Amino acid sequence: MLNRKISRRSVMAGLGGLVAAPMLGVSRARAAGSVVVAAFPGSWEDAYRAAVAPVVKAAGTELVLAPALAQDQLAKLLASQGKPAFDAMMVSPGQTTEAIARGLIEKVDPSKLKNWSKLLPAAQTEWGPNVTVEITGFAYNPNLVPKPKTYRELFDNPVYHGKVGWVGFGSNTATLAWVEIAKAFGGSEDNLAPAFKILAEHLNKGAVIANSGNQQMALYQQNEIAVFISSVGNVANLKARGVPCEFAHPTTGSPALPVALHLVKGAANPEGVYQYMDAAISADVQRKLAQPPSEILPTNTDVPLTDSLKSFISDADIKNLIYPNWAKINPNRAAWSAEFDRVVKK
Amino acid sequence: MTRGGIPFVAPMLALSIAGFLVPLVVLGAFSFSDPAGGFGMANYAKLFADPLALRVLFDTLALGFKVVVTTTLIGLPIILLFWHAGPRERSLIVFLTLLPMLVSNVVRTFAWIVILGRQGPVSQTLAQLGFIPAPRSLLFNETAVVVVLSQIELPLLLLPVMAVLSRTDRSLVSAAETLGAGPWRILATVILPLAAPGILAGWVLVFASATTSYVTQSVIGGARHIYLPQYIYREVGVLFQWPSAAAIAFVLLATTGIIMAAMATLSRHPRLAAHG
Repeated sequence: MLNRKISRRSVMAGLGGLVAAPMLGVSRARAAGSVVVAAFPGSWEDAYRAAVAPVVKAAGTELVLAPALAQDQLAKLLASQGKPAFDAMMVSPGQTTEAIARGLIEKVDPSKLKNWSKLLPAAQTEWGPNVTVEITGFAYNPNLVPKPKTYRELFDNPVYHGKVGWVGFGSNTATLAWVEIAKAFGGSEDNLAPAFKILAEHLNKGAVIANSGNQQMALYQQNEIAVFISSVGNVANLKARGVPCEFAHPTTGSPALPVALHLVKGAANPEGVYQYMDAAISADVQRKLAQPPSEILPTNTDVPLTDSLKSFISDADIKNLIYPNWAKINPNRAAWSAEFDRVVKK
Repeated sequence: MTRGGIPFVAPMLALSIAGFLVPLVVLGAFSFSDPAGGFGMANYAKLFADPLALRVLFDTLALGFKVVVTTTLIGLPIILLFWHAGPRERSLIVFLTLLPMLVSNVVRTFAWIVILGRQGPVSQTLAQLGFIPAPRSLLFNETAVVVVLSQIELPLLLLPVMAVLSRTDRSLVSAAETLGAGPWRILATVILPLAAPGILAGWVLVFASATTSYVTQSVIGGARHIYLPQYIYREVGVLFQWPSAAAIAFVLLATTGIIMAAMATLSRHPRLAAHG
């Protein structure tokens, strides 16, 4: 029973300790048995929690997933340089180039990854393994619109007017789509003026401009839009939930977006990151991730494509993939983002 | 405050200084820096020279005012109902006012996507009644943002007013009636002046919350209605222009601060404060 008289001094000391504890780095104690990794929110986060976390735990480390979009991960690391908020990041080439240029990530030591040799050669990069290649194209509702074939058609054919959702340059998938749209209307990877011109004209025809890919998914499920630019994974995810959704490859080729895991410079638990990377590229985990609802394309050569994934991507589609030149895209991205806002702002 | 009480507020004071005041000073200093390492007003000059930024600032303040007006119009009948209600009914009104606050803003905002969507009850009803030719989305316009924010922020207006009215002597109304005042005159010269300090406090809260409500503004307004919180997010998360984002954040803080200070000053006016 507590019968000791509590003095004002002891209360102050206790409260002072509470305030001071985080400043003294007590919270860093988590580093010993856990690894904090950033993952795309939504289906990726769910899939990694279900398939990767148990394997990392079996190796003796608790996997803590911090949901964040690729661009947000970069922003958070820039905000906390020297004391990163997470130990590993999950991004696409657009952010990888930025992260390397800004000194935020480290090269990995493949000898610490026992599944490294099983990866496709293209997935073995000195900055970390690619865990998948996201293939992007058109997600569409077959009950509401015909199957789209080209980017141009979405603007030219009145059947799509008011039914297509678009997002700006915060999204990698959308950035690639705008590059392709620019090409379709006479532009190039470093000239998006034709894309902005057609967007401006299209705004009066009911174009729906969303703030993010996730918001687009919500709008699609509410039948607010019937077409949006998407990865195969998102379409598979919607289908698995019973939402009428199909994937269509643009006839000009589907932009491909590898997803890589990177070791963050100054990570509190680098060994934990290697355990995490090794789990994510292992055949067992990638086999699970290739199943519905995540349906993530494997990069481990021991994992075959599932029948469901084959229904989305044929060998011909794979040959027709477009790998954009991020070195050309990245320097323009900020200006394009600002221009996009200027064009769409009411 | 007595001297003996000071140690008990000291932890709160320390937290406020460490968690708010110091970061605010850092943010302020940051807003005067430029990528080249210089120090000056360049970020502010750039902001005020950009027509898009000025429009975003104006739209944000206008949104705050519209939400304040709408919540006041919606809240007035509830305030009158509260004034005339007995103790049990008053408890019920307070409970019903607090009830939506138990649900996260994010959830309430996403619920509005369903309500205002093409297949939602509002659009379907309007179409069936013949007001619109076919069901259509009522999202992604400023009216929708104002309506949704008004519903979300309404408790912030009602609760301070209810707190003020709960302490008010109702015999003042009886006295006015005895002196021959009609219902409208009683409303205008007795009830509203009595409630004024609470209404002004509510306006301050609603304005501050509506102008900074990133989730509702972005989800309901879409990407075509850009307000300052989204603008700041873009500067930080997409463009990585932190000094510029800090300058925008300070402009938002200053403008909302000035308006809130004006409202607070008004609420302390002797003619209004005397009723409190």
